[in-house]
Amino acid sequence: MSARAVARLELKRLAVRPFAWTLAALALAFLAWQFLQLLDGFLKVQTRLAAQADAPGYTDLVAVPLLAAAAQLLLVATPLLTMHALAGERRARTLPLLFACGQSPRAIVLGKYLGVLPWLAGILLLAAAMPLALAPATHLDGGKFAAALLGVALLTATLAAIGVACSAYASHPALAAAAAFALTLALWAIDAGARAQGVDNGAINYLAMATHVQPLLRGLVASVDLLYFALAIALALALATHRLAAERVRG
Amino acid sequence: MLDTEPKLLVLDHVGRRLAGREVVQDLCLSLDRGEVLGLLGVNGAGKSTTLAMIAGVLAPGRGAVRIDGRDLAEHPGLARRMVGYLPEQVPLYAELTVGEYLDACGRLRAMHAAARRRAIEAVLARLDLGAVARRLCGALSLGLRQRVGLAQALLHDPPLLVLDEPGNGLDPLQTASLRTLIRELGRGRAVILSTHLLPEVTAVCDRVAILHEGRLRHDAPLTDGAALERTFLAIAAGAAAA
Repeated sequence: MSARAVARLELKRLAVRPFAWTLAALALAFLAWQFLQLLDGFLKVQTRLAAQADAPGYTDLVAVPLLAAAAQLLLVATPLLTMHALAGERRARTLPLLFACGQSPRAIVLGKYLGVLPWLAGILLLAAAMPLALAPATHLDGGKFAAALLGVALLTATLAAIGVACSAYASHPALAAAAAFALTLALWAIDAGARAQGVDNGAINYLAMATHVQPLLRGLVASVDLLYFALAIALALALATHRLAAERVRG
Repeated sequence: MLDTEPKLLVLDHVGRRLAGREVVQDLCLSLDRGEVLGLLGVNGAGKSTTLAMIAGVLAPGRGAVRIDGRDLAEHPGLARRMVGYLPEQVPLYAELTVGEYLDACGRLRAMHAAARRRAIEAVLARLDLGAVARRLCGALSLGLRQRVGLAQALLHDPPLLVLDEPGNGLDPLQTASLRTLIRELGRGRAVILSTHLLPEVTAVCDRVAILHEGRLRHDAPLTDGAALERTFLAIAAGAAAA
C-alpha cells in the first residue's frame, strides 16, 4: 500500500519536530493537572457518596470527565498538528516530490491522515493511562470507560480528517489550522445553538459532533453514532483527495 | 536497438493551460536512451511546466506523455519507476537528515529495504555526499541542496532523468562538476534538462530544443554553440518584436 510510505514519512517528520513534542507535553501536563483536580474533588465527596445507593463513582467523577476534557483539548490541538499535512508540503514546494514518486492524491491524503493518527492516539492513550493507573485501587467501570474512550478516539480521528481536509485547501498552515478550528468549533457548538432556539431533534442536531460523543461518554455505544464519525471521516478525506487531484489537473 | 522499440519519451501534441494562459502548446518531442536534451528558453517559456508533465507532477491538458510507449496518464506508476525528477526548487524536508530524506524517497518509490540501502550508499558515494549524510537538509548550502536533490532523482536508477535548472545557485566549481556528472549520466540513460543559460547547454547536451511562449521553435542536434546562440537570440528577439 503506497499510503504507508507517506504515513511513515509524516510520522517521522512529526517525531523530529519540537513543536509536536511541545504540543504533546503541554496537552499531557494540562490533562495531568485536570486529573489531579478531578481526583481531589472525588476524594472530598467519596465518603458521602459511599453512603448513597447508585451514587456516581470513580468512573463518572474522574475517568470519564478526564476523557471529556481530553476531547475538548484535542479540539484545539488537532488542527495545530494537522495544519502542516498538505499546506506545509505546498508551502515548502515538496508536493512535486510525492507526485513524482508515483503517489496518487488518494495515497497522499490517506498517508498524511494515517501519519498523524499515531501521534494523537499516543496523547489519548497516555491521558487514558492516568485514571487506569488507579483502577486496581478503585471501582472502574471498564465498559463505560471503554465506550467513552472509543467516543473520544472517534472524535479525534474525525478532527484529524477535518484538519487534513482544511490543510488540502489552504495555502498556508496557519490558515489551515484556523479553518479546521473554526469548522470543528461550529460542528461542536451547532447543537447548543439549535437547542437554544428550541430545536432539539432536527437534522441540525444530528450534524453536531457533541450529539454523537455525549452518548458514548455516558457508556452508550450506538451504531448511528459510529456511522456519523465514519461518514464524517470519509467525507473529509474524499474532499481532501478531490482538492489534491484538482491541483494536479489545474496546476 | 531495434527500430520497433518505442522511444523512451514521447510528447505527443502536449498542451497545458495554467491560470488562464496557454503555457505549453502543441508540443511534440521525443527522446531516446543515451541522449542529453537541453530544453532552452527564456523565463516563462514553459520549460518547467513541460518537465513537470514529463515527471507526472502535472497532468497534460491536451495530448499525451508516453514513456516507453505507454501513456503516463494511464500508467501513473511509470513515473515512480522510470523517471528521476529534480524540480527547480529542490523538494527537501528541512527537518530530516540527508540519509533519512533519501530513505524516505526510496520508500515513496516502493524500493525494498536491501535495494534501498544499496542505492542510498551508491548515490551518496557518487555525488560525494557521504560526509553530510547525517546533516539536516535544512542546514545545507545551496550547492549541497542541489546535489541532494539530484541524489533523490537518481536513487532508483531511472532510465529517464528530468532536471529543471540543475545549475541554479552553484558556484563555478560545482557547475563544472555537475556538467561532468550529467555527461556521465547521459551515457546510460536519457537526460532532459531545462535552462536559460546557453553555456550549460553547449557544455553537456547533444541535442537542443528551444521553447518560446509555450511553443517548440527549434529542435536539432547541437553542432555549433555560436550558431545555437544566434538561433536562440533570433527566436527571442523575433518574438519580442512581434
